[in-house]
Amino acid sequence: MKNREQRDLFPGALEMMILRTLKRQPRHGYALALHIKRTSNDLLQIEEGSLYPALQRLLKEELVKAEWGISSTSRRVRIYKLTAKGAKHLEHEVSRFEKMLDGITRVLAPGES
Amino acid sequence: MMWLKRLFSRRRLYGELSEEIREHLEEKIEELVAGGMSRKEAAYAARREFGNVTLVEEDGREVWQWPSIESLIADVRYGLRMLRKSRGFTATAVLTLALGIGANTAIFSYINAWMIKPLPYPQADRLMVVVSHDTKKGWTRNSVTSTADFIDFQKQNTSFEQTTGWAGWNFNLTGDGPPTLVEGGRVGWNYFETLGAKPMLGRTFIPDEDRAGAEHVAVLSQGLWQSRFASDPRIVGGNITIGGESYTVVGVMPGTFQFPLMGIANLWTPLALTDKERTDRGRSWFSAFGRLKPGVTLEQAGAESAAIFARLESQFPQTNTNLTLLVSSMTDEIGKEEGTTQVMISFAIVGLILLIACANVANLMLARATGRTKEFAVRGALGATRSRLARQLLTESLLLFFVGGVAGMFFGFWGIRWIESQIPDHIRGYLVNYGHVDLDVTTLAFTLGITMLCGLVFGLAPAFENSKLDVNRTLKEASGQASGSKRGARLRRIFVAAEIALAVVVLISTTLLVKSFLISVRSSPGYNPANVMVAQLALPKTKYAQEWQLRRFSEDVLARIQALPQVVSFGAASSVPYGGFGQAVEVEAVGKPAPQPGERFGARFTAVSTNYFSAMQIGLVKGRLFNSADEQANSPSVIINQTFARQFWPDEDPIGQKLQFGERRTVRTIVGVVRDIKMYYLRERPERQMYVPLAQFPSGTLGFVVRTTANSAAMPTAIRDAIWAVDRDQPVSSVEPLEMLMVIQDAGNRVLTKLMVFFGALAMFLGVIGIYGVMAHLVSQRTHEIGIRTALGASPGRVMGMVIGQGMKLASIGVAVGVLCALGVTRPLATVLYQVAPNDPLTFIAVPIVFAGVAAVACCIPARRAMRVDPLVALRYE
Repeated sequence: MKNREQRDLFPGALEMMILRTLKRQPRHGYALALHIKRTSNDLLQIEEGSLYPALQRLLKEELVKAEWGISSTSRRVRIYKLTAKGAKHLEHEVSRFEKMLDGITRVLAPGES
Repeated sequence: MMWLKRLFSRRRLYGELSEEIREHLEEKIEELVAGGMSRKEAAYAARREFGNVTLVEEDGREVWQWPSIESLIADVRYGLRMLRKSRGFTATAVLTLALGIGANTAIFSYINAWMIKPLPYPQADRLMVVVSHDTKKGWTRNSVTSTADFIDFQKQNTSFEQTTGWAGWNFNLTGDGPPTLVEGGRVGWNYFETLGAKPMLGRTFIPDEDRAGAEHVAVLSQGLWQSRFASDPRIVGGNITIGGESYTVVGVMPGTFQFPLMGIANLWTPLALTDKERTDRGRSWFSAFGRLKPGVTLEQAGAESAAIFARLESQFPQTNTNLTLLVSSMTDEIGKEEGTTQVMISFAIVGLILLIACANVANLMLARATGRTKEFAVRGALGATRSRLARQLLTESLLLFFVGGVAGMFFGFWGIRWIESQIPDHIRGYLVNYGHVDLDVTTLAFTLGITMLCGLVFGLAPAFENSKLDVNRTLKEASGQASGSKRGARLRRIFVAAEIALAVVVLISTTLLVKSFLISVRSSPGYNPANVMVAQLALPKTKYAQEWQLRRFSEDVLARIQALPQVVSFGAASSVPYGGFGQAVEVEAVGKPAPQPGERFGARFTAVSTNYFSAMQIGLVKGRLFNSADEQANSPSVIINQTFARQFWPDEDPIGQKLQFGERRTVRTIVGVVRDIKMYYLRERPERQMYVPLAQFPSGTLGFVVRTTANSAAMPTAIRDAIWAVDRDQPVSSVEPLEMLMVIQDAGNRVLTKLMVFFGALAMFLGVIGIYGVMAHLVSQRTHEIGIRTALGASPGRVMGMVIGQGMKLASIGVAVGVLCALGVTRPLATVLYQVAPNDPLTFIAVPIVFAGVAAVACCIPARRAMRVDPLVALRYE
């Protein structure tokens, strides 16, 4: 059995990806999962299920909101939207992530020692 | 109110989550079906990619919950269900814990009441007692070094806000009813003020009243005021008669006021030191305490006192060499007085018992969990993580301990009351709050604390051990009776061995204490106390100012006692064993080098009637007893005890030697040596004692001893009437059998011994239960194996031997470790043991043998069951 850390990549990564995806357009859970999988070229092995606890966390923190609606395949689904607070949070997280990535890249860069 | 709204909307949230997940799976399946997969395959694939639905839902829900509290509630509910399901297990565990925790609660409540709780005075931490100390000889006494020293100390010290003296005193109260001996004290004028105690009526003393020759004044206790003066408020300002003199009552102290160092007190008068006493640097007859100024520490006060006494020493080398006053906290001094040692020993013992009980319960939990392996495997397969299972198990153990703790509280309360009932009324006055102890917040917090701590510590091992999962193996095993991990079994054996070791330590310690008690009770006090009645009194100096009056009184009373029926023998002395009176004098052997300054020898001084030795049956060792010739004024005879003789004339015949004693430096010739007797305690070390004829040294304090043919109920009244026939106004202490006085004096050790018998039995019981439980469990686990062995031809005797052998191996390891530990642990008991060494060989041999024997019996029961295993049944059982 995989534990949560493996599913989540690093803490907050999944949330960040969800927020980024929702920034482009509101989606429901299944579409979100598909999109993340597809855009990452299946590089990220995410259990689809792990999306839902993450979404619940975002809902609780009011970074996203959800409404019941009808999907393109005419199903009753819950569509998630980014809130203003969520957009701000995403911006903050992305810049933090980029800084971190930048740092890691520098350290990992070959040649210098 | 957000949380309230959330609480109500939560059910909806959960519903939505479930629906959403369902829809998600449906959509996936449809897509896969559209891609050409069969519906069944698609359903599997969708689930595989989704992950554990239950876990996802649980994780999703957890987001909305107060972290862990709610899953804790769920765990508690589940735990309660499990405890209800296995009643036998729960009952055993709860009873075991309740006994262990109850014993701790009871003993701790006494520690709390006597050592932790502040004394019932305002800012009690500033109250300090001063005790005299000889830096060379090392002795410490509760009284001050001398009256003059104390007055100098009072004047010179700057550490204390107030200091005051006190002495326990018996008052002869006459008028307004029968003459009564009232216990109380002579106290410094500021005694009540220093303690911070306020009268309920009137006032306490003023400085002018604390002077020799001042008008006589007295303060009453509420109890005396009620019983003798019918709570008449007009008593304040009124007169009472003490020792034939009139005293004005100035105040009444409330019933809550108590000073344990003095004991029961119902009447107080000022110390009123005479001018002669105020300048006396040789002796003291009173004790003292004081209240430190705010911010002054005990150490500062002690250092200042040492400095003052260093000055006094250089000023008065003849009297003050090596003498000083030590400052000590009043709480400690009161604790030292009564019961503390007994309580601390009991506390150590019950601590060990709690450990035994906990190890027992941990073992039960381990054993029970092996039966639940399948349950855990199933829960693991359904997505429970190891930590989740461990948490569940820990919750169950905490729950179990909590229930045990609550039950223990009841046992504890009962224990407190039992101990209290064992305290004789005569010594209650010396105990804080008269020995009354209640379950208070501190005790409850302590009980809850140890309960939860033990639950956590002893729940961890089973939780850790049993949450180890091997889902596949367990589920595949046909019987579901997996024997648990090897380590689990080893852990159980370690627990049992440890438990037995602890039980052996407890049993050895308690046996030593009980043995020492039995020896002390059986040891001869030096006289025969059976059928001896004791009556005591103190004649007032005002009425009996002349020696001939004192002499006449005792002679008259003795003549009347002689006339009583059933009297076998009788006598009188200035102080009798266990009587409370006592006098000591300085002694010097004539013809030996004079003692160094500061090196003074004392001896107990007792004036006795000529028939006293024969009445008490005190044995003569050498020489002769007193006869009527010794009562003549010019006969200079004295009798000493064995210790006196041995210490002063180790290599010479004491008979005929001359002795100089007392202030008048009287010289007397030793005519006899008698056996040492116990004067105050059963366990006292013999001290030098000298006897002189009562006729030559008439005494104001008197003890009459009357040996009767049998203990008759009418005797006490008859003796008292004989005294009242001589002086109608003379109060007499209650007339009591000497044997009873001895029992009262030894009450602390008596209670301790009873407790030790109980604790020893409890430790043994728990240890044996522990080994029985493990062996019984082992046998039930091995039924199958034993069946095969029997089928293959193992004889029943062999099977039984195998089980007993295994049990006894555990027991002997435990016993051996226990004996080794006990060798170290019992060493501190040396101070309380009487004529028993802490490593008493007999105890250290007998206890392990008895314990091993009982353990063998405990192993026999499961072994017999193993022996009777029917191979057919055992093998078919699968």
